[in-house]
Amino acid sequence: MKLIRMVLAAGCLWATAVLADPPPGYPFVGFDAGLKAAHASGKPIFLYFGRYGCAWCEHTNKVTFSDPALKKLYSDNYELVYVDAESGKRVTLPSGERITEAELGARLQAFATPLFVYLTPQGDKIMQIPGFKTVQDFRDFDRYVRGGYYKQKTLLQFLDGKS
Amino acid sequence: MLLAVLAWPAHAAWQWSEPLTVNSVRGAKIFPHMESANRRNVAVSGTTVGVVWEDNRSGGTQCYLATKPAAAASFQPEIRLSQAECYEPVVTALDGGRFVAAWEEAGKVHARLLPGGKALTLSDAEAGQVTLAAGAGKLVAAWAEQAGRFRRIVVARLEVTADTLQVGPAQPIEAAQPTDEQGWPALAVAGNGSVTVAWEDRRDRHTVPLTSHSEDSRSFAPPVRLNDLPKGGGLGRSLGLGAGTGAMRPTLTAWGAQGVVAVWLDKRDFLSGYDVYAAFDPGTRRFGPNLKVQDSFGDNMAQWHAQIVGNADGRLLALWDDARDGTADVWMADWDGTAFGDNVAVPAAAGPGVQSDPAATLDASGMLHVVWLEQDEQAGTRVRYAHAEWK
Repeated sequence: MKLIRMVLAAGCLWATAVLADPPPGYPFVGFDAGLKAAHASGKPIFLYFGRYGCAWCEHTNKVTFSDPALKKLYSDNYELVYVDAESGKRVTLPSGERITEAELGARLQAFATPLFVYLTPQGDKIMQIPGFKTVQDFRDFDRYVRGGYYKQKTLLQFLDGKS
Repeated sequence: MLLAVLAWPAHAAWQWSEPLTVNSVRGAKIFPHMESANRRNVAVSGTTVGVVWEDNRSGGTQCYLATKPAAAASFQPEIRLSQAECYEPVVTALDGGRFVAAWEEAGKVHARLLPGGKALTLSDAEAGQVTLAAGAGKLVAAWAEQAGRFRRIVVARLEVTADTLQVGPAQPIEAAQPTDEQGWPALAVAGNGSVTVAWEDRRDRHTVPLTSHSEDSRSFAPPVRLNDLPKGGGLGRSLGLGAGTGAMRPTLTAWGAQGVVAVWLDKRDFLSGYDVYAAFDPGTRRFGPNLKVQDSFGDNMAQWHAQIVGNADGRLLALWDDARDGTADVWMADWDGTAFGDNVAVPAAAGPGVQSDPAATLDASGMLHVVWLEQDEQAGTRVRYAHAEWK
């Protein structure tokens, strides 16, 4: 915990903005637009479930998503979707059901933000990962998802034997 | 003292009726919802129960009302309230088996006196998340209405004369234009006629439930924060990260002679999802310290769809859903005079499968009426209803 606090404290030395929106410069879109784009492109969906004012979202944006190579990796290979955990904005699920973004959190049983959800191009959930993650974590998740390993292994099995 | 006087015998408990299904049309691709502002989806007028929800049976989303006389074995087939795309209907009871329903339709909010009556448009600008409250001879509506770049909360008196519903001027809580989003208003008319409003507000760059009150429904007191600030402002604030913790979907109820009680979802403990918190205004028009509602068995679970329900006799309880037993069930906690008691599942809304989205009301005799969604991916989701007597 002390280490985490030190890392966070170091991070906040250059912290400026307080908003926990999508990381700047990434082509995040809304849920409906992202699903539509994924249907067309065949790319998997990376859903960033954030919260307005969320500390750990801001931390992740600054420490992790600021990495230029990660930005290129995810921008090029995923349809990027941002959902606000407390919003009343309506989204349409692959089933055709219309719910609010906040209700999507209830369906995902989201207990922390940020929550990162990987979905197939058809909108089926592959996995969801809560909390702060590093650049290397997101690189591992990318290999797990786009490499199709999720079809045979759990994420933990994949990470244990990752190459 | 008041709280102690209003305590209830510990040996009594809710005695539940057999559950009923409210919606007559179901299907795997039909999705009923009950997610209204202040969770006002059920009301009881005299001995008639009224339930509102939205679903997509006709292709687009429409709003429906079903009623049931107390003696009837089932709900009458529902009537459609809306003509165009409709969301988040609410209902409140008048006397003599009459109701007023309100909803968002085609980007504005509308209300209608039932049975009979014609739909009345309440908002001038684009609006949604309407709610209603009645008490002390007043009928009041609140909604979130576009004002420049953002929505803000407005309140209007409604008047019922003979068979006609009329709306008074919509009064913003604050005269100034909103500086960020406001939404999901809750309303309560206290026993002395004072109107309390609570809503989600993002002016502080995170979602904060604010409250205000009015004695005349025209001028409102400056907004006050409902949820306590975590000690030190929370981990994020202490480290200069994020604007603050999250809190959402405040609900209000009138309670006792002049009191108002609030319940909302609060994420101050960022590792366990939203928790249910409450605050009491004993009649001073000032809410006291926050109290956690759920018991320790629910602490590691996210709670959802919380509502507070009370009456003038001092009965008070909170409802919500959480998945502490593996799948979502409807839970409730009664106020015992000093604290919210052990969490008890609503019997017909617990067990295998998903039971969620509770909404409830107490009728004039103190009977509790609860509706919820029972999800079934094959047969379609049912809107379910049960009532309970405290004895």
